[in-house]
Amino acid sequence: MAATLSRPSFSFRIPSSSCHLNFKTLNPSFLLVKPSHARSSEGKNQIISELKSFENSLKCSIDSISGTDHLHIVQNSSVVPMAATAAMDSPPKISKKVCLFYCTEMKELAERVAAESDAIELRSVTWRTFEDGFPNLFISNAHGIRGQHVAFLASFSSPGVIFEQLSVIYALPKMFISSFTLVLPFFPTGTFERMEEEGDVATAFTLARILSNIPISRGGPTSLVIFDIHALQERFYFGDNILPCFESGVPLLKNRLQQLPDSDNISVAFPDDGAWKRFHKQLQHFPTIVCTKVRDGNQRIVCLKEGDPKGRHVVIIDDLVQSGGTLIECQKMLAAHGAAKISAYVTHGIFPKKSWERFQRDSGGSPENGMSYFWITDSCPLTVKEVKSRPPFEVLSLSAPIAASLQIR
Amino acid sequence: MEKNRKHVLLFSCVESEELARKVAAQSDCIQLQSINWRSFDDGFPNLFINNAQYIRGQHVAFMASFSSPAVIFEQLSVIFALPRLFVASFTLVLPFFPTGSFERMEEEGDVATAFTMARILSNIPISRGGPTSLVIYDIHALQERFYFGDHVLPCFETGIPLLKQRLHELPDADKICIAFPDDGAWKRFYKQLQHFPMVVCTKVREGDKRIVRLKEGNPAGHHVVIVDDLVQSGGTLIECQKVLAAHGAAKVSAYVTHAVFPKQSFERFTHKNDETSEKAFSYFWITDSCPLTVNAIANKAPFEVLSLAGSIAEALQI
Repeated sequence: MAATLSRPSFSFRIPSSSCHLNFKTLNPSFLLVKPSHARSSEGKNQIISELKSFENSLKCSIDSISGTDHLHIVQNSSVVPMAATAAMDSPPKISKKVCLFYCTEMKELAERVAAESDAIELRSVTWRTFEDGFPNLFISNAHGIRGQHVAFLASFSSPGVIFEQLSVIYALPKMFISSFTLVLPFFPTGTFERMEEEGDVATAFTLARILSNIPISRGGPTSLVIFDIHALQERFYFGDNILPCFESGVPLLKNRLQQLPDSDNISVAFPDDGAWKRFHKQLQHFPTIVCTKVRDGNQRIVCLKEGDPKGRHVVIIDDLVQSGGTLIECQKMLAAHGAAKISAYVTHGIFPKKSWERFQRDSGGSPENGMSYFWITDSCPLTVKEVKSRPPFEVLSLSAPIAASLQIR
Repeated sequence: MEKNRKHVLLFSCVESEELARKVAAQSDCIQLQSINWRSFDDGFPNLFINNAQYIRGQHVAFMASFSSPAVIFEQLSVIFALPRLFVASFTLVLPFFPTGSFERMEEEGDVATAFTMARILSNIPISRGGPTSLVIYDIHALQERFYFGDHVLPCFETGIPLLKQRLHELPDADKICIAFPDDGAWKRFYKQLQHFPMVVCTKVREGDKRIVRLKEGNPAGHHVVIVDDLVQSGGTLIECQKVLAAHGAAKVSAYVTHAVFPKQSFERFTHKNDETSEKAFSYFWITDSCPLTVNAIANKAPFEVLSLAGSIAEALQI
């Protein structure tokens, strides 16, 4: 009979000077099961939570927005599933040590990922530019990564930053490393993947092709970790020399919802059938609302297709948000149908041209004008910088699921 | 016997539209096509290839210009899409292959961006006509031809014939002498310029500094033309000019295929308007491989643009 040990978890309130404390636990070997709990003191909410998903226990860290202070709590634990055989005393799985490189914009998330586990070590690249604008790059301690598992945390927030990151991504696997993982939480261009008429250029295909061409390393094809890719068919865009690993941010959301005081009054709403297809399986235990766009003359109007928002705290869920237009229309429609509170979750807060400014906070009673919460992950770091201390926004960090994905053998 | 000339549909990136027009003007067989270049709000490209059905079964070419990393992705999207539209063949014309000078790994950890660029281009899908032809002028390092994979056929051209033709037109054509700023330039070009007297310079270390010196040849009394593949800040050219003048060169001019000139560094060479300023370079010949610079220079003396249009039109017939 397999035994489970309970390990302590740590949470600390950080003083307002906003310093960032990390605590590392020892190498884990047992499955950690602990009830989640929330503590609230002095009007500041500190939430420590843990979720159990199919194979892994993940700790997630949440930036809690209250008042003007921004508390930054990072929790650490490395948890690995117990071997399934109960009959024998299986030896503890040793996490593989991973050297984690990262692009400049992802520095903060990389630091959080490394804080999740002793086995993950941050490494650096010198990012400079020549006079002509082309990158002048140097990978520090290149000899030191030979025989190691290596990962790169990328962010293609605009076309201009792709080439420099790609140069590092193409160079690392050829440095005698034992395996290579590319973590690209947000796969951009994902929405431009259809050719509706001949002549449309599907830029998602371009990006998939570029990534499929990453040289293989001694460990075989590169693993490519992407969160909530826009179109489910896109998994087939990738060639054979790359192993796409599609993860989701929804478990982070589910855990957050469980902590809400009205967690028993939550319904999830999908702005269209596409979102429903992508997410309904992960959210089956919530009452569901589905919206749809109906053509009315020249316009397209958001309508309720299934479900009833009346009196509920409705959480609109989608993979990404751009201008926010669709979300706002859904919000108004749901409010008109009697929703008590409205919140939103998207994995990827793209928000070009500061479109997040359209989202106001509803402190109570006017869901048609504001949202109670707007959750995004830190897949789009440039947006996170702008919204992290602004209600209704709350950032759910991908650090724990990323750290877990780096442990996949 | 007249060869059957290929009818080619020529697409172009925005920066190279003028050069593409000149190429199309060279021959009835080359026809300009168009692309809608727009952006989505998030900055990613929103592209549409006009008349996509019409290009089926035709020979197609794309004129690219990677003047900065930011413009690569949009052009790459078109380059990856065109071969799959049932075209008879696909040719990519990239007159200037950037990053070419960053191709060596001097220590482990250096990231050779030329390798990145070659890898990306090697990954162009093949079309019905087989591997993509990739036309590049005066690539920086001769070894770079081996960086490309099997699905592209690099076709290395040179701008030197344009220079030779221009030199023949000069009144002092018989006094011309070619100078190479270093051994690298000599290796790249001496075979094409063998009938001219030559001068070779070199950089010699003197303490902390590196000084340009004459290694071979005698410039005295000659109109010396310094030849190299590209110019960045222009520092090397200026030092060479000083050394050549000190050794008695009557006039000094320069030729580079690729006028990179980051941050407007071409201004060091333009003739100032006042009477007393020294005109260090009599002529500075460049090609139109770097369209943004060529537009900025706008033919200010001593610059003269030798167009690659004719040479490109010929290359499209291969």
